[in-house]
Amino acid sequence: MGNLLEHMGIERDRIHFSWISSAEATKFVDVVKEISNKVRALGPNTKLVKDYN
Amino acid sequence: MNDNTIKIVSFLCNWCSYGAADLAGVSRMEYPADIRVIRIPCSGRMSPKFILSAFREGADAVWVSG
Amino acid sequence: MDTCIQKIREIAFQLLDKKEVERVIGFSNGTIPMATSPITIASKQDTEKLVFNSTCGLNLANYIRQQKGKIAVIAKGCDSRNIVTHIIENQVKRDQIYIIGVPCKGMINKSKIKALFEDEILKFTEDGETLTVESSLKKEKLNKKDYLRDNCRLCQHRNPVIYDVLAGEPVEEQVLDTPYPDVEKIAALDADARWLHFQELTKNCIRCYACRNACPLCYCPTCFVDESGPQWVGKGQDKTDVNTFHFLRAFHCAGRCTDCGACAEACPMDINVRDFTRKLNKDAFDMFGWEAGLDQTKRPPLDAYSPDDPNDFIK
Repeated sequence: MGNLLEHMGIERDRIHFSWISSAEATKFVDVVKEISNKVRALGPNTKLVKDYN
Repeated sequence: MNDNTIKIVSFLCNWCSYGAADLAGVSRMEYPADIRVIRIPCSGRMSPKFILSAFREGADAVWVSG
Repeated sequence: MDTCIQKIREIAFQLLDKKEVERVIGFSNGTIPMATSPITIASKQDTEKLVFNSTCGLNLANYIRQQKGKIAVIAKGCDSRNIVTHIIENQVKRDQIYIIGVPCKGMINKSKIKALFEDEILKFTEDGETLTVESSLKKEKLNKKDYLRDNCRLCQHRNPVIYDVLAGEPVEEQVLDTPYPDVEKIAALDADARWLHFQELTKNCIRCYACRNACPLCYCPTCFVDESGPQWVGKGQDKTDVNTFHFLRAFHCAGRCTDCGACAEACPMDINVRDFTRKLNKDAFDMFGWEAGLDQTKRPPLDAYSPDDPNDFIK
């Protein structure tokens, strides 16, 4: 899925997959921070957004 | 739109990451407020349609976590 | 391929005569030159209607589902792979179909030929590797090799992989060093250029769903585009909706597409829909060593779990 989105021109860092056990609150926090940083670096997404106006 | 309003649509499995998010909450851990959590009954419930729908409705990123 | 059609007619006649099958699915001449349309024949007198030439670009595997009784179907290399996919996906039973395999040297790109003429094409004939195309203004003799469809040019399975009888001598398979030059070309661009490429590609889409209807893989009773609760994708020509449709349709074909080219063939706007599906074919090959429809006994990669599955995309 990520590969095809990337092929279409959606940046790879806009889609993330992870596996976190329910006991791993620290890993959860780490992953959120990491994803958040990556997406902030990319800025807002404009592709594939439906314009309802 | 500035960086403070980034939206990461997060599909979290009820039994795994959702539990982890809950635990992080009760442990009073701090994490960025960019994520919007959608609880799914199992990672198997996930569908490519959800990801595209999220992008269509203006998500900046999508995160799927089991 | 003139010898081929005699053989096909003969086989079809015998099958219907001996009542081994109830119907034969094949191609007949279309209503305009340089076109063929699928036909189902039930009586042996009708076998004369069958044709097979370089314009039979559609995929007959699309018509073998939900048929009653035993049927015979004419299958090129790609059709036969789609029949295998159907068997894997429990859409047909192997013993319900009789496969008349036809080794194929590729189908022609009709829009490329049409582009040579200013007016309507009135006559199309084919003799071996030479095509003769006539309009009221001029007559052209063309070399078939130069006018093959892109997917036929890159085809590595010209002979049927599964058949009951073969209607011609097997042809030599092409061996390609780079089977996915088009995918690599797009991959070499940066993200914005790739996005632009697909915007440009789909901008003429009229959402007629001809690609979906021609595709043997698209057999869902209700397609996601027709669902209304929830409505996944709008019905209009909004560019996001068009992109979503093409993206998801391609994704549904992941690991199943045989690159038969029926989608691009059916497109009235000449959109190369294969730019989407080809990427997934390449991924299926790179990640799982999988090419669709080659083996009846193997489960497709997205259907089966193996501990060796690549999982480095998961954190």
